[in-house]
Amino acid sequence: MTKADMMALMPLIILAGGSVLVLLAGAVRPGGYLYGLAITVVVSALAWTIAVPATVVMPGLAITPFARFFAVFLDSAGLVALLMATGYNKRRGIVGEEYPATLLFALAGMGAACAASDLLMLFLGLEAFTFAFYLLVAIERDSVRGGEAGLKYLLNGTLSAAVLAMGIALVYCSRGTLRLSELARQPASLEPLFLAGVCLILVGLAFKLSLVPAHLWTPDVYQGAPAPVTALLSTASKGASVAAVLLILPLMAGWRGGHDILWCLSLATMVCGNLAALVQTSIKRLLAWSSVAQMGYVALAFVALPAGGGRAAIFYVVAYAAAGLASFGAVSILSDGSDRDAIEQYRGLGYRNPLAGAVLAVALFSLAGIPPAAGFMAKFAVFSAALRAGEIALAMVGVLTALVAVFFYLRVVVALYMRPVDGAEAAARRLTGSEALALAIPTLVTVVMGVYPSPLLDLLARIMG
Amino acid sequence: MEQTLFYILAGVAVIGTILAITEKHPVHAILYLVTSLFSIAVIFYLLMAPLVAAFEVILYAGAIMVLFLFVIMMLDLGHPEKGVSPHWREWLPALALVGVSAACLAIVIVARHGSTASPAAASLPIREVARHLFQDHGLAVELISLQLLFALVGALYLGRQK
Repeated sequence: MTKADMMALMPLIILAGGSVLVLLAGAVRPGGYLYGLAITVVVSALAWTIAVPATVVMPGLAITPFARFFAVFLDSAGLVALLMATGYNKRRGIVGEEYPATLLFALAGMGAACAASDLLMLFLGLEAFTFAFYLLVAIERDSVRGGEAGLKYLLNGTLSAAVLAMGIALVYCSRGTLRLSELARQPASLEPLFLAGVCLILVGLAFKLSLVPAHLWTPDVYQGAPAPVTALLSTASKGASVAAVLLILPLMAGWRGGHDILWCLSLATMVCGNLAALVQTSIKRLLAWSSVAQMGYVALAFVALPAGGGRAAIFYVVAYAAAGLASFGAVSILSDGSDRDAIEQYRGLGYRNPLAGAVLAVALFSLAGIPPAAGFMAKFAVFSAALRAGEIALAMVGVLTALVAVFFYLRVVVALYMRPVDGAEAAARRLTGSEALALAIPTLVTVVMGVYPSPLLDLLARIMG
Repeated sequence: MEQTLFYILAGVAVIGTILAITEKHPVHAILYLVTSLFSIAVIFYLLMAPLVAAFEVILYAGAIMVLFLFVIMMLDLGHPEKGVSPHWREWLPALALVGVSAACLAIVIVARHGSTASPAAASLPIREVARHLFQDHGLAVELISLQLLFALVGALYLGRQK
């Protein structure tokens, strides 16, 4: 490994070394300072990724502009989740070094998955962060729901890992290589074994993206996990999985069947996700089903890949991640202490806790795709890519389901700003600095991306070009 | 001949795994899993990978399964059949599966060492295996080792008594 390789790999090394450092520091002296240490590690990895532009290809990993963009995106999401968790975990009695250390490890795994240049590294990266989430989801040992969610995620996750590994084995069996660049070179006719392998890989990734019909774990896990973990699980892990799909899709570029599979996945996900979200009464389950539905639009962008769908997919997932982090962050603050979960219980909270209420409202506007929030630009990018690719029917379904979605998102906003039933309630506690920052960053990103999206779109065009 | 042996061993592995899944008694299930892993080890030997075959037996069929048994014994799940030594008929399927694998292994060894003709493919020396593992896949090894560390952390955290 040369010095240039080390320089390019440094963000991953910082994250991985930082996770071990936090574990060791926690063993010597436990305390709240570990979160500060973890935040420092993430910030330094983030700063290094932005400051040192390096393009290096080594066995297994390729640090490309694509990988660096995703590293910045995922590390920022991790940073916001850590800021959110600092206060939340203290209130909920989640102590110990395990939480920040595992979160850092998850970020390292995601970075490896996005920078993978062969299927082995892709698999290991994906499984590394999924593995970290098995622990994070069940981190609240006292809560019954947390343990149940952890077990459900573990069982579903191992099944998807088995499917993914089987797919990779079949691909290797048919071509004799795992390198993505070599696999993307299409021969005249695609072997059935190779196609079977790619399809199995796609099924494994569909689980991670919770595309219908591989979505069944999503509502239970999102509801059972602590809110900051759900925030990260529903955004960063989705982002890393989108990167993985974008790395896999060139393998089946010339195959009509691949397009049809994605088409069906997208249709089923948009319809099922939005319809199921309509009937939810718990806010976490509503957000979970909404995240299923949102991934349907990302799948629509995958269908439109030849017409700039890759750019639209990344833009969409960044906009979704900002809104998702903001909404789960606001929910974790609003549900403070008492386990507020039913939408009814959120009546009037917008007055009681104005900042968190406003952040939740903006995030929901963005998820619903109402301008000027980022969600509108993201939906616009996806639908226009779909129309350019000639997917008129699917784009129509997308627009219709997005209209349905407006109803259930606005239902929460209306509840937030209705008069509370029992009149005057005690004033909410003041937000701590880290909580305010964790709410402000994703909200600012949401607003800026919605008002002025062209810099990011240009950047993505350069990366995907 | 090697192809026939491969299919026999693959069949043994699949049957062993199915029995391991369907068996209700955890200790019996582990024994079936050991038979399945043993036949896979013989398959690796057949594929000119004696090192992987040895690892398979030592690590999977040996260490990990002993650990499983150890944990089950420690948890002491309280079985009604505890203390009753199993009937010889209960041993039969596992013994038959291992017997088939062992017979295949014997046939391969005799065929390879008995004939004077050099084999078509030579097995990779350990030095080469190590070079591939740590030079081409060094980063993957690092990532896996970190993952194992966090598996340990997770098991400790979730298993800790309040």
